[in-house]
Amino acid sequence: MDTLNFLGSDFNAVLITLKLALTTCFFLALIGTPLAYFLAFKSKRAKPFLESIVTLPLVLPPTVIGFYLIVFFSPDTPLGKFFILLTGEQLIFSFYGLVLASIIYSLPFWVQPLQSSLEKIGNDTLKTSESLGASKFDTFINVIVPLSKKGFLTSFIISFAHTMGEFGIVLMVGGGIHGKTKVIAISIYDHVEQLSFGKAHFLAGVMLILSFTILLTLFYSNKRSMVKVK
Amino acid sequence: MITSLFVKITGYVGDFFLDFEHEFNTGGITVLYGPNGSGKSTIISVLSGFINHLETKIVLNDKSLENTKIFPPHKRPFGTMFQNPILFEHMSVNQNLDYPIKRNKSLEQTLLSKEELIHYLELGSMLNRYPQNLSGGEKLRVALARTILKQSDYLLLDEPMSDLDIKTKARLLNFLKMINKKFKIPILYVSHSIEEISQIADEIILIKNGKKIISGSVSKILNSNSFQRLIGKFESSSVLEGTLIKTNQLMNMTTLDVNGQSLIVPGRPGLENNIVRVRIRSRDIIVSPVKINTHITENELVGIIIKIYTEKNTAFSELVIKLMKSKIKKTSQILRARITTYNLNKMKITENKKVFIYISSVSIDRQAYQY
Repeated sequence: MDTLNFLGSDFNAVLITLKLALTTCFFLALIGTPLAYFLAFKSKRAKPFLESIVTLPLVLPPTVIGFYLIVFFSPDTPLGKFFILLTGEQLIFSFYGLVLASIIYSLPFWVQPLQSSLEKIGNDTLKTSESLGASKFDTFINVIVPLSKKGFLTSFIISFAHTMGEFGIVLMVGGGIHGKTKVIAISIYDHVEQLSFGKAHFLAGVMLILSFTILLTLFYSNKRSMVKVK
Repeated sequence: MITSLFVKITGYVGDFFLDFEHEFNTGGITVLYGPNGSGKSTIISVLSGFINHLETKIVLNDKSLENTKIFPPHKRPFGTMFQNPILFEHMSVNQNLDYPIKRNKSLEQTLLSKEELIHYLELGSMLNRYPQNLSGGEKLRVALARTILKQSDYLLLDEPMSDLDIKTKARLLNFLKMINKKFKIPILYVSHSIEEISQIADEIILIKNGKKIISGSVSKILNSNSFQRLIGKFESSSVLEGTLIKTNQLMNMTTLDVNGQSLIVPGRPGLENNIVRVRIRSRDIIVSPVKINTHITENELVGIIIKIYTEKNTAFSELVIKLMKSKIKKTSQILRARITTYNLNKMKITENKKVFIYISSVSIDRQAYQY
């Protein structure tokens, strides 16, 4: 009974973590990709400003981000009210509050690798494609995406891994509620607090293996695409 | 049908003011010539729809194209090839060639088919290769074929051949002339190479600092004062046009008829009765007031000095000579000679005097032939 419970609650944390990371990456693809495209090809004057905003979560202490997010997510703000209207639930301490927070702090991890990969393609390639009769969207699908496959993969993997590992913001915004917002990182912290090193070992091991596998996939596929080019 | 194109562009690009207007109606190859930074590439970008903040009027065959909302780059009837042409690295040569075909299916085929282009530009052996494995010249041929396969109404080529070796360049320039003549597709060719101009241009537009200086036929422009000033004194030259009379196979020399006078040039620049253009640098010409009765050079021409420019602060004078034998009143061509003012005074040459011109065939630029 005790073993089952042990596996059950932690298994839940693993599921929530994976669900959070995947959902976040899905929204990052929708928001971060156009942003990276804009930064790489379009913006001139607004670029330094936009880049600063996108990079901000990298340099701010997680507690600062967490604090501001709590302020913005609270039920008194327009955002908080709107979410309650939509779902009947408050945004703070909810799974979707966690997703929204993750999107914000993982944004630089999606935008930056993709942006530098797009910048390598260059404006001339876009112009060439358009002058041959392809619209901007056609060019994006048939030229930009295939040429920046590596950038997309890197963005996905790094954002995924970073979302999985974040602790401070997730604790502040999500509150570490069992079966709802308690992710692996928080579970490990709780286990260590309670001196249950066995459980901590198990979860830490899961994270270690998962992270290593992710990085191995990334570097292996990078190496393969390099070989193909040569 | 001859394609007509009217272009007027006014406005600032950065702190550079462009004020260009031209009516293209030759249907031939127009060369846009000017020094770096004179606005040539900007004009190409405006025509292709990539610069849209300038005040523009573009009328192609009575159709107004300047609105980039209605005519964004991908809907413009131009086939543009930019400086340093780019192939899509993730596609094979064959897929690169199919790219414009797939996207312009509705257009009727007015130009060469893919198969013909593969044949003419010798792309057959590289169809399954990827751009990374092609040389610069090979890439350029593929890019050129791809641009032509868009089946556009007008080709815009922005200094496409600046990095090529002379042989490949001559071949591609001939190919461009061929498709221009055979398929009646007009070409706007941006260049700052005099060799390229003298080989392919039907019409030349000179631009400098964003303004058109002069435009007209090749011989008119290349021999004009504005052109000579633009290219600088060291490069000062003239272009002579002649009919190919015969080739001496044994000696590998060819005789041209230049308005009744013969000009012997090395090699075999064409077939009999072909019109051949030859560029002669002004500093390679020897001028004498009297006939020299030894064979010091292969060529002796006769002309009349129409203008002498003596440069202040340098040792040189430039003579503008009308090539003519005194009695025959044919349309004559202009030759420029550059000699020292020291020698000019010694020879007592003045305007309206008859002179003998000596040109060594060795100094005739083989690249400057038009085949």
